[in-house]
Amino acid sequence: MSETLIRFFTIADYEEEEIWLRERHKSGMKLVKMIPPCFYIFEECEPRDVIYRLDFKNSEQTEEYMSMLGDFGWEYFAQCFGWLYFRKPADEAETEAEGELFCDSASRSEMAAKIVKTRLLPLACIFLCCVLPNLSNAVSGRLGAFSGFFKVFFGVMFAIYVYLILHCGIKLRKIREKNR
Amino acid sequence: MNDKIKRIYVPMTESGFYILFCLQAPQHGYGISRRVKELTDGAVTISAGTMYGTLSKMEKDGLIVFHGEEEKRKLYVITELGREVLDIEIRRIERLYKNSKGENTDE
Repeated sequence: MSETLIRFFTIADYEEEEIWLRERHKSGMKLVKMIPPCFYIFEECEPRDVIYRLDFKNSEQTEEYMSMLGDFGWEYFAQCFGWLYFRKPADEAETEAEGELFCDSASRSEMAAKIVKTRLLPLACIFLCCVLPNLSNAVSGRLGAFSGFFKVFFGVMFAIYVYLILHCGIKLRKIREKNR
Repeated sequence: MNDKIKRIYVPMTESGFYILFCLQAPQHGYGISRRVKELTDGAVTISAGTMYGTLSKMEKDGLIVFHGEEEKRKLYVITELGREVLDIEIRRIERLYKNSKGENTDE
């Protein structure tokens, strides 16, 4: 039996997503596929404690990387927008480091920095160059007959962007500080 | 050795040191991790992503070099430069050890 769940995690919530997927697997539902932006397809399975880890590679993963992670016992099973999904049964990780993709704080902080550079900054650019000017045009009535519609549309976009940029910016900063 | 290499690799992290130390003989990432675990009785284990990242960086900086393949796994081995860095680190750790034991190392 398969099941599709809708759940939204931002680019800064990967640690929460890992915990959620682990809990799902423990209760007998394993993730088989992820369809952007928020559809998770699960399949019934034997309940088991399985560690889930997400790695942000932004499409630069090499064959060597994938085969090395395989050597270390990580099963690669899905990818989505530059995110790679790995899992490994908890009882196969004898030490804490074996249950992690990164055992040093420098690599963890580097990953957060890469997310800021390749995802958060472009988002901020779209906000500044597109959402903001359009909202200002709509508010001042420069978009003609449809100004009312655009006012609401860009108003909503404005709220979503401000929330995302603040939420992700603060969170990724915290992750980097934690790993300083 | 230029200042940039010194700044990055002296002193080294524990996992960085063990990786370079193990590459005195050709080895692949997974082999290094088994070896380090063995050498330290499981006290030091290196995660997969950290292993990959460290090997790539060390290769880029010329501390190690590609040394063929074994069952599709890339083998690396230490270079002259890597050897220099490792020797500096070993001397630093020896000094640290002797001082921590209260032995005089001035002479």
